[in-house]
Amino acid sequence: MLSNVKRSLLARKLAGLLVLCGLASCNLEQNIDVDLPVLPAQLVVECYLEDGQIPRLTVTETVPYLSAPDPAVPTDVTVRLTLANGRVETLRFLPGQNAETGKFFTHTGLQKLVARPGETFRLEVTDTKGRRVTGTATMPRRIPIDSVQYEFNSLPPGQREAYVLTKFQDPVGVGNYYRLQIHRDSISEDPEIDYDVEDRLTDGKQITLGTSYRFDPNDTLLVTLYHFDRPYYLFRQSINDAQNANGNPFGQPSSIKSTVEGGVGVFTVLSYQRRQLVIK
Amino acid sequence: MALRLTVLSFLISLSACLPPQVRAQARYTLTGLVRAANNAEALPGATISVPALGLGATTGEDGTYSLSLPAGRYQVVASFIGYESQSRDINLTRNQRLAFQLPEAGNQLGEVVIEGSGTLEQKLQTTQMSVERLTAREAKLLPALFGEVDILKTLQLKPGVQNGGEGTSGLFVRGGSADQNLVLLDDALVYNPSHLFGLFSVFNPDAVQSVDLYKGGFPAQYGGRLSSVVDVKLRPGNPEKFTASGGLGLISSRLTLEGPLQKGKGAFLISGRRTYFDVFTRQINRLNEDDPDYNPIPDYYFYDFNAKANYKLGDKDEVFLTGYLGNDKFGFNSQNGFNFDFNWGNTVASLRWNHVFNPRLFLNTSASLTKYRYQISNKLDQFAFNLSSDIRDLTLRSDLDYTPNNRHTLRFGVTATQHRFGTGRLQAGSQDGSVNFGSDITYNGTEAALYASDIYKPSEKLQLEYGLRLSGFQSGSDAYGGLEPRAAARYSLTPNLSVKGSYALMYQYVHLVTNTGASLPTDIWYPSRKSVQPQRSQQVAAGVSWLLGDGRYLITNEVYYKWAQRQIDFKDGAQLFVNPDLDAEFLFGRGWAYGNEVYLEKKQGRTTGWIGYTLAWSKRQFPPQRGTSGINNGKPFYPTYDRRHNLTVVGLHQLTERLSLTGSFVYTTGNATTLPAGRFAVQDVFGDDLAAVPIYPDRNSYRLAPYHRLDLGVVWKLKPNRWFLESDLTFSAYNAYNRRNPYFVYFDQVRSGEDGPVTSYRARQVSLFPVIPAVTYNFKF
Repeated sequence: MLSNVKRSLLARKLAGLLVLCGLASCNLEQNIDVDLPVLPAQLVVECYLEDGQIPRLTVTETVPYLSAPDPAVPTDVTVRLTLANGRVETLRFLPGQNAETGKFFTHTGLQKLVARPGETFRLEVTDTKGRRVTGTATMPRRIPIDSVQYEFNSLPPGQREAYVLTKFQDPVGVGNYYRLQIHRDSISEDPEIDYDVEDRLTDGKQITLGTSYRFDPNDTLLVTLYHFDRPYYLFRQSINDAQNANGNPFGQPSSIKSTVEGGVGVFTVLSYQRRQLVIK
Repeated sequence: MALRLTVLSFLISLSACLPPQVRAQARYTLTGLVRAANNAEALPGATISVPALGLGATTGEDGTYSLSLPAGRYQVVASFIGYESQSRDINLTRNQRLAFQLPEAGNQLGEVVIEGSGTLEQKLQTTQMSVERLTAREAKLLPALFGEVDILKTLQLKPGVQNGGEGTSGLFVRGGSADQNLVLLDDALVYNPSHLFGLFSVFNPDAVQSVDLYKGGFPAQYGGRLSSVVDVKLRPGNPEKFTASGGLGLISSRLTLEGPLQKGKGAFLISGRRTYFDVFTRQINRLNEDDPDYNPIPDYYFYDFNAKANYKLGDKDEVFLTGYLGNDKFGFNSQNGFNFDFNWGNTVASLRWNHVFNPRLFLNTSASLTKYRYQISNKLDQFAFNLSSDIRDLTLRSDLDYTPNNRHTLRFGVTATQHRFGTGRLQAGSQDGSVNFGSDITYNGTEAALYASDIYKPSEKLQLEYGLRLSGFQSGSDAYGGLEPRAAARYSLTPNLSVKGSYALMYQYVHLVTNTGASLPTDIWYPSRKSVQPQRSQQVAAGVSWLLGDGRYLITNEVYYKWAQRQIDFKDGAQLFVNPDLDAEFLFGRGWAYGNEVYLEKKQGRTTGWIGYTLAWSKRQFPPQRGTSGINNGKPFYPTYDRRHNLTVVGLHQLTERLSLTGSFVYTTGNATTLPAGRFAVQDVFGDDLAAVPIYPDRNSYRLAPYHRLDLGVVWKLKPNRWFLESDLTFSAYNAYNRRNPYFVYFDQVRSGEDGPVTSYRARQVSLFPVIPAVTYNFKF
């Protein structure tokens, strides 16, 4: 009997101890050391050609993930751009920054590019280590914006905000990809709206893209509709997937679907229409 | 045609096992039901023996048994661990019924028995290997996360079974994925057996009687999944009196009502539970609703209801009705007009008719419906978006059990299921009609199978179990099918030492569409059609069982090898939602797994428990195909649930009549995962989106730190009082030594100041649960 009482008391103490355990700290994140494999450095190319603009691109290298954040810019890279008319232009290594957008580049051309929908360009990037990256890009047709409208909500003046609807006609045939950007005041700022859509469910129909109520009276908006091809869409999707997999316990790692061969990156010709809209 | 002939000749050869009726002369059949005396619950797995003849039988899932005996006077003994044995003397001169009502063991040891179903002796003698049986009563004794008893999580403590991640209820059996488990609730399929992203299973322990997990050596009546069968049985209601029982827990409460239907004719049971996170989070949100910077906590709760009724239509007929309804509801309403609702859940209903032609011939015929669906509703200002998916099955099946003599137990059956796969419904639009589009993709499929099997005992030392299943599937103009042979054997080297072996081939005709590597509410099921052919696996296993210490300990060692074809995965960036050409997103490969499982268990005495250790490998390979380089460039890789070592130690100790201490310890190799090895920078068109993009090396080439955890518990049975017949307080501490087990690892940028430049990168490990104490109050009145 006595032993039963002792056991009972012991168990009560133990139960109390279990509850007290809950007071332990709840810091559930910690820094850890990881041993990662070393991947061979690859050339990374990022080049968006645009009609009426001087061709510029950035050539960097892949680096170990946990290395210092300094940019790895190889200095021994030769860039040749084959224009639509077959002329080859060698872009000079002249690292700089676009004064308007703040964008960095490593190589630049000398004269403005002429690009028409359907015209094809080729890129070749080589270095003294024997690495060679090539790419081919055809300018997609320009898809006009049919209309850009705004509508205010019913809040009292001073609080009301507007949404924006952008309408355009998707050509018949699946395989068209779009990006809608809406900047406030200037394209050098981060866009208010930025998303990609495909015509898988809206083939050949008029597509309407909307926003939430987020724009104010007197806002000047720059609405840009890009039309691009599948390789560029897949590249954009793959870099999003790769970034989202970092930190997502349910995410699967995604390989980068480059539009170039022999390295990593994108080579494409931009095709877009931009409209200005003033919210009154 | 050849296939048909093969099946026919097999069935004929089986029927050749049947002895002529003349052999049954001077033999009679003894049948009956074994129940618990305290609550009249049927006791499956109880032993009925006739010591004078050295014969015995085990009660089936409904607590009934059948023995063929020569005419004569005998003593018949019924025993079940945790209950007192009963013996009766009979004079068998005709077919006779003999029922037993076993009182609970007086020393309360029944309350600390882990595996009440089946004695160690039975486990030694059975042909069936690679099976784990657990009752809800046993699972309730072990410490649980948040004090929420979960019978599927308890199964994860068995060798050969891995979990999908910290706290989740998914089962990964012998290298198979979670979608390759056939989860049955009273014979009806359950597609998504989890609540809250897998943290809790849908099985309310108050309504569950037992679960059998088959890891291999699958009996022929099971089919349709590759890796395991999880056969959950709801318990019947109390046929003697009305009772109510329930529990108050940290995050949910439960209530069960049960009682007789026309006393003696039948019984019913209704059980429900609901979580109450949302009650607290709504209060917190209300208190902070004036704070403009406050982000409201989303609403979340789940509930489920179980119901079961049985009713005798006569001496030879009984019907059973089972129902399950469960829902998870997640909702978020922000002040800026963004509403998000996400609901998902299962609905299951089955009606079974049991007919006894004679004591040797039983027929079970059932009709069932099962449905799983999810729906996501978004509303942002004037725009609305709805995405939903569901799968619905209508199944008819019939199983015939025939015991011609004590050497053969035959089972035949046929089953047919009509599937409807709603793989994606999308509706998007605006209130003014300026935006409006939708899509609805639905497929139909029919799955059917017939099978025959025999448990044959040619001698005391040798027992064989063999069967054949013919299965097929048709969707549109595509049809598939195949033969699934099953075989198992047991040979007793000595009365205490048996060797066993088994082989099974399985087909799986429906596929889970997910690229998350985990089972989520948004999972879609897809039929075999067009280029997506059925998955197929084969498994061989061999084992030895040794009864030690005067029958108090059983040590089992099993080695297995499993190989599977047409395993599925998906292309990088695959579009899995509302895709009318989903076939094109599949990738096909092969998988193989092998390992060794050691299991030592003790079932009787003040201290009971088990130790399990598994050494295992699991691999998959997807070669280049369909314009891709496959997965991992076609090289083999370990799936995330591959664990080299897995050790579990479970112990229960009866301290006093009313007090038990329980504990479990788990150690496993860390998850295989993929961490980025390299990175590069992209600026985008305007240079305003400078980002570090990860480059991933070989898939799952990194191992997280090992996982280990100790759970402790105390079960304190309170004295009966005027209000409650039984009640107890269960204290538990999950992760008692507060181990920071890795849930996942991510890479982070370190900045100089809040918005300053990036100065370095670092790896961060996230853990899910610290030590979590919990207390649950259970009652019955």
